[in-house]
Amino acid sequence: MKKQSKNANNRPKTSGEDFNSYFRPQTKEGLMQVLRDYEDALTVIAGGTDLLVEHYNNLYKVDRWLDLNWVSEFKEIKIYDDKVEIGSMVTHERLYKLDKIKELFPVIQQAAADVGSPQIRSRGTIGGNIVTSSPAGDLLPPLLVYNAKLKLISKDGERIVDANEFFTGPKKNVLKKGEIVEKIILPLRDEMYRGAWVKVGKRKALVISSISLAFNIVFDEDKKIKESRICVGSAAPTPLRIKKAEDELLAKKINNVNIEEIAQIVSDKISPIDDIRGTAKYRRQVAFNITKSALNEVINQ
Amino acid sequence: MKIKLTVNGQKREVDVKPHTRLLDLLREDLGLTGTKEGCGKGECGACTVIMNNKVVASCLVLAPQADGAEIQTVEGLGDKEKLHPIQQSFIETGAVQCGFCIPGMIMSSKKLLDDNINPGDEEIKRGLSGNICRCTGYVKIVDAVKEASHKMQSGGEDNV
Repeated sequence: MKKQSKNANNRPKTSGEDFNSYFRPQTKEGLMQVLRDYEDALTVIAGGTDLLVEHYNNLYKVDRWLDLNWVSEFKEIKIYDDKVEIGSMVTHERLYKLDKIKELFPVIQQAAADVGSPQIRSRGTIGGNIVTSSPAGDLLPPLLVYNAKLKLISKDGERIVDANEFFTGPKKNVLKKGEIVEKIILPLRDEMYRGAWVKVGKRKALVISSISLAFNIVFDEDKKIKESRICVGSAAPTPLRIKKAEDELLAKKINNVNIEEIAQIVSDKISPIDDIRGTAKYRRQVAFNITKSALNEVINQ
Repeated sequence: MKIKLTVNGQKREVDVKPHTRLLDLLREDLGLTGTKEGCGKGECGACTVIMNNKVVASCLVLAPQADGAEIQTVEGLGDKEKLHPIQQSFIETGAVQCGFCIPGMIMSSKKLLDDNINPGDEEIKRGLSGNICRCTGYVKIVDAVKEASHKMQSGGEDNV
């Protein structure tokens, strides 16, 4: 059992002792070496904007930090003909300021701009957002609507997991001990696509969302809907795709969509709870409203 | 472990533990108590400093992560004889009440004005969105940043 204490006097604050328990590999190869040596006994830190809050609140004992901030390959964004690869240590600030992300994945760009505050966006990372796996993680619905895949590495090898299958519960995911998210792979589409992002919280800034919604709709040459992805955050144990609403949109022209009907499906299909950020009833009503506004936004684009 | 960093232009070398926070390093090891601890959770912005040209909550940065970094704190901006135009503007517009949040506000304002010398209202609000003040209604703080913008544009390099 981890002991919890809120006594600030217990906070470790003496500097000056020598420690060997902070690892900061500069390359992927260096990282693999640390993983081989200490696989089971590492506390992995990315931006620290979630992890350190919990760490100092609960005063967990950490034997070995593994800091991913220095791994140069993890900060790269690579653009290919058919995909974009985003390193797991790319910060929210970079995501929302990069024109290329705005052009290719506007829903990710808008969600990144809505994360926390300047102080949080400058440190917090896309990989950290994914691994923390909060149902309220702002980047998660956008990743799901763009069919993102995650490349995971460990000392035993690597595997690719669909973002849609990564999250299993609140703060739970399929990541195994000793596994690290290396990068996020986003397929590029030739067809025209349009998206929308809505985040609702108690304040405009520095807020954990009460509910959020990401949309991406892909059109064929006749401007009929070829594929659609709708994902809601903070309304279920994981970011939740609303498949019934997605299917309802297929093969229709966007102007012929019954917006109220889609909004009702989204509102019915989520499984929200009552908590500090809103009641379940409130969330269902807001889900209805923001689905309508998001669809209208896509129509007007 | 020993780390080296530059704080307000001065090279410093400090012995830290891996879990020492940058905030503690600044306040306790270097005695720079201008940077405040409010919530300790990255929500209030009182501990804001500029690290490698980015605003960070120093309560959410491990000291070893600042190894090799360039840090600016409120102490690096001006002194009693010659205040930085941002500091002067906060005084002149009455933006300071209890003062606890002000070092963080000033550092966020500094970064905001470094990036954009003439920000609009919305840009100012967004730039300061990570800093909470519990005394004022923010109106005078926004005024202060506008005043600082005027001062820095008309005053030239000498004032900045």
